[in-house]
Order: sequence, then structure tokens, then C-alpha cells
Amino acid sequence: MSIQVLINGLLLGGIYSAVGVGFSLTWGVLNIINIAHGALVMLGAYSTYFLFARVGLDPFVSIPITAVILFVFGYAIQRLLINRVISSGVFMTLVFTFGLSLFIVDMALVLFSGDYRSVTTSYAGAGLVLWDAVISYQRAGAFVISIFAVFALQLYLDRTRMGRAIRATALNRDAARLVGVDVAHIYAVTFGLGAALAGVAGALLSTLVTVTPVMGNVFIGKSFVIATLGGLGTVQGALVGGLVLGIVESFGAGLLGSSYQQIIGFAILLVVLIVRPQGLLGKAFSAENQS
Amino acid sequence: MKRSAATPEAGGVGRSVFSALRPLGRTHLIPVAVMLILGAVALVLPLLLSGYWIRVFTTIFMFAALAQSVNVIAGFAGYADFGNILYFGLGAYVSGFAMQHGLPAPAAIALGSLFGATVALTIGRPILRLRGHYFAIATIGMLEGTRELVTNLDFLGGGSGLNLPIVDLPPREFSGLMYYLMLATAAAISITALLVRRSSLGLGLRAIKGDEQAATVMGINATRYKTAAWALAAAGSGLVGGVYGLWRGFIEPGVAFDAVTGTQYFMMMLLGGPGTIVGPILGAFGLGLLDVLVWGQWQSGHLAILGGLIMATVIFLPDGFVNVLRRRTLPRPRRWSR
Repeated sequence: MSIQVLINGLLLGGIYSAVGVGFSLTWGVLNIINIAHGALVMLGAYSTYFLFARVGLDPFVSIPITAVILFVFGYAIQRLLINRVISSGVFMTLVFTFGLSLFIVDMALVLFSGDYRSVTTSYAGAGLVLWDAVISYQRAGAFVISIFAVFALQLYLDRTRMGRAIRATALNRDAARLVGVDVAHIYAVTFGLGAALAGVAGALLSTLVTVTPVMGNVFIGKSFVIATLGGLGTVQGALVGGLVLGIVESFGAGLLGSSYQQIIGFAILLVVLIVRPQGLLGKAFSAENQS
Repeated sequence: MKRSAATPEAGGVGRSVFSALRPLGRTHLIPVAVMLILGAVALVLPLLLSGYWIRVFTTIFMFAALAQSVNVIAGFAGYADFGNILYFGLGAYVSGFAMQHGLPAPAAIALGSLFGATVALTIGRPILRLRGHYFAIATIGMLEGTRELVTNLDFLGGGSGLNLPIVDLPPREFSGLMYYLMLATAAAISITALLVRRSSLGLGLRAIKGDEQAATVMGINATRYKTAAWALAAAGSGLVGGVYGLWRGFIEPGVAFDAVTGTQYFMMMLLGGPGTIVGPILGAFGLGLLDVLVWGQWQSGHLAILGGLIMATVIFLPDGFVNVLRRRTLPRPRRWSR
């Protein structure tokens, strides 16, 4: 029983990591709290659904396409809109992304309708029996791809020229500009990466939960928890935060009942904010200190 | 008295309350005239309007009162209390529960307001240490957590909501009474905000908004000032929540703790002009009337239009309407070279 709960929590936590890492990146580098992150997750799920239902692509195969679509969308939003308001302060960008979220979700409701949709593959029910626990192939696949996406982002930030430019911009925007970094472009790329990761998470979620225009809203709050829990702006922080949240929610729902699942997350968030605002893994690079 | 008005001192939150009562200067002529005219119009309006428009204006007064409340912590002190609607919901639920158990409405509403202020005072010390995004997120976390909690509490009606005792009045008179009650609430909160702004508390809050570290160095007890501002904001929103419960006769967690409504009045405050007194009121009227028009025209896509409006506001009016006006009409203060 408890092994099953642990495994469920871990598998769920993997996807949480993928949801949270994009949010954390946008926050750490751009100092933007992206309320529209949940809406981007939802768009990723719809992209996967339409590619599955209309084109017949397997949800795991279509992930790169979804990621590219969301990257372009995110890049355009940052370049054309958010770059204009980013200098007017943290609250204005917060309000802006809130408006963006309302806009995207309501447009999805108008364009895609509120119908419940689901991506049902031929292998949906199958799973691996391990001792007395069952691991569904789909959940395991989603977990592996989530972890892979998180590590790919880490490698990208560590090893590539663009990744170094992103980290430099996060550390000190003005100094980065002085050494020739095109900050407007870096901002747009970072937001695009965050959107692409949200898209990947949405694609994975579409195989597990019902796809609706409002499905992303629950992940706004969770993204806060995940990003703050591990330590803001780091990839490892989001990984740890996601896994911890998944396991705690899984056990908490077993102990207190599933209706208290949300409260557990927010209770952890408040405790972490008060006791250890720098997160479980300590202080990370972040744009928070810049004005 | 003159001295204390100019320099806020450590622990001097309540000391120079009287200095807030000094006469308004010439620069206040236009805003005061606008407010007096609006107030006079508001007093006679119910005699001319249909029931529908009385409802619309009652809602707008409610939003003005809420925008003014959140203005005290977000506009004056610069702490983005994004989850401020928490206190509206707490006020509505506490007063509703008290009314259900036989407390007369005025006492119940006062109790709801007091409860909000007490909560803010209690959690103020740990939460107000957080700055910027972290504070905003903590308030959102508290809001979301409380909503889930109330949804699970059976003695408050859980997810299906709480029915309040019905006020024994004919509909027309009842809606008229609620109109004036909400107007009085908005006026009371605005006058309180004006007094705060003109007291040493208000000066201290402005200093904290400008540079908290420097303010502390100047001898301002930042924690005490911020907590006082937060408690006032909570008391205001709690008061409005209680009046709302009496007005509607029914409250449910999804509405009383609705983050969208909360952001809507936060927007009104930002749009009108954070830190000013007239700003939040104008913002509530502007966005409120626009909302009614949009809602009447487009049933579906209403939230998309609201979202687009929010984005456009942030792009074109990042300082708020009143501050743009002020910059046009008043000479710019000389700035230190940078």
C-alpha cells in the first residue's frame, strides 16, 4: 500500500517538476511571476490532443512539435508584449500575466469549447506489476520524459553559449548588456523556453487527465509551491520541489482525504516562505536583487 | 504637532493622528471638488434609476471600497497584497455566521471586520518580512489555502455555501438601503485612507515604499508601520465583505474568495493611481462601468476582453490614470542627477 502511494507520488512529482521548472526559470531570469504558466500548460495539452485526434500522432511522439509551437508562442509574447512592460516593475508584470492568462483561457473556451476531451492511447491501461505495486506505462513514460526535459534544460544552461548568456543576464542584466548580450532576445528566448517546458508538461498531462480550457489553473498555485520549495530560479530546485510536492500530496491525500490535497501544498508553501524563503537547496542565481 | 507631521518617528504610529486633520492645501482643490460632486450625484441617484442600475452602482461602490482598502497596503506601502480578497471572504463568513446565530447585523459586520484585522495583525509579523514577489505569493497562498479550507468546513456550509437571515424589507427599499450602506462604506474607507495618508503613519509608509532600508535607518519601525497598514486594509475589506453578505443573503467559497475578483479590484487601484485617494475610486468607476458594458455586449469571451483590457492598461498606463494626469498638470519635481 505505502509503496504504491510512494510510487504514485514520485511519478506525479516528476510531472510537477516539469511544470515548475519553466515557471522557476522565467521567475529567476526575468523576475516575472508568470500567472499564465498554467494557461501555457493547457495549450500544450490541446496541441497534443489535436495532433492525436486530427493527425493521429502518438502523444509521446508529438512532444517535440508541441514544444516548438509553445516556444514560438512564448518568444513572440515576450518580444512583442512583455518586453514593453518589464521595466515598469514586478507587480505590473504580475498583473500583465494575469490578464494574459484570462485572455488565453477564455479564448480557448471560445475556440475549443468547454467540452471534456481526452487522449486515450491503445496502451492506456497497461502497466508493470512490481511486488504489490502497479506502475502504469503511461505514467512511467511521463515521469521519464519529465526528468529528461529537466536535465536537458540544465545541460542547455550549463554547456551552451546561449545558456551562459541566460545565466549571465539573470546574475546582472546591465553587466551582461555591457559584454554584448542582446538582453531583449535573451528575455524572449528564456520566456520561450519556459513556455516550451510548460507545453511538454501539458503534453504529458493530456495522457493522464481530462483536457479542458481551465485544466491549467490548478498548476498556477502548484508552480508557486514547486519553485519556492526547492529554491527559486534553479533547475535542481524545481526538480526537488516537484518531487517533494508530489510525494507529500500523495501521502497527505491518503491520510486526510483527497479534498485536502490543495491545502497541503499551500500550507507547505507558507511554512517554507516563513522559515526558509531561499528554498530547501539554498540561495540561487536570480534576478530578484536587481531593480 | 508641526514637527511630528513632517518627521515620522519610531513608534509614532498613533501619536500625530491630529495632524492628519490639518486643512487641505490648494493642490487638493480639484480632487476634493470632484469627490464632492460625485458624492452629491451618488446621493440622489437612486431616485432616478431603475433597480438594475442601482445594483450596478452598489457593485461599483463595493469595488471602490475594496480598491481603497487594498490601496492602504499596496498603494501606500508598496506591498502587493494580491490575496487581499481573503479578508473580504473572512468578513463575509464571520459576519454571516454571527448573523445566523442571532447577532444583529451591525454588530456582526463589525465583528467580521475586526476578525480580518486580527488575522492580519497575527500573521503580519512573519509574512510582512517577505518582500516583492515573495509577499505577493504568500498572500495568494493564504487565499487559496483558506478557500479550500472553508470549502471543507461543514459548519460554514462547505462548498454549497451559507444562507444568511433575510432582511425583512420590500425589495425596492432593501436595494435602496444597500445602495446607501455600500456608499457609506466606500466613503468611510476613503476618508480613513485620506487620514492615514496625511498622518505620520502615511508618511512612514511612503518612506517604506521608497526605500525600506533607508526608512528603517531614519528611525521608522517598519514592521509596526506595515502591520498597521495591513490590519487597516484587512479591516476595510472585511467590512465590505460583511456588507456584501447582508446584501446578497448568500455566500459561497468560490465567490467570497475569488482570486479573479481580487485581481479585478487590485487592477482598479493600479489603473486609477496607487497611493492616491481619488485614484482607486476613479478606477472602480472606470473599470466597473466598462465591465458592465462589455458584459452586456459579449456574453462569451467576456473574460478574454477583460484580460486584453488588463494587458492594454499595463502597457499604456503603467503609473495609473491619476498619476498621468498629475504629471501633465503639475511641474515635475526636480530629480537628483543620475
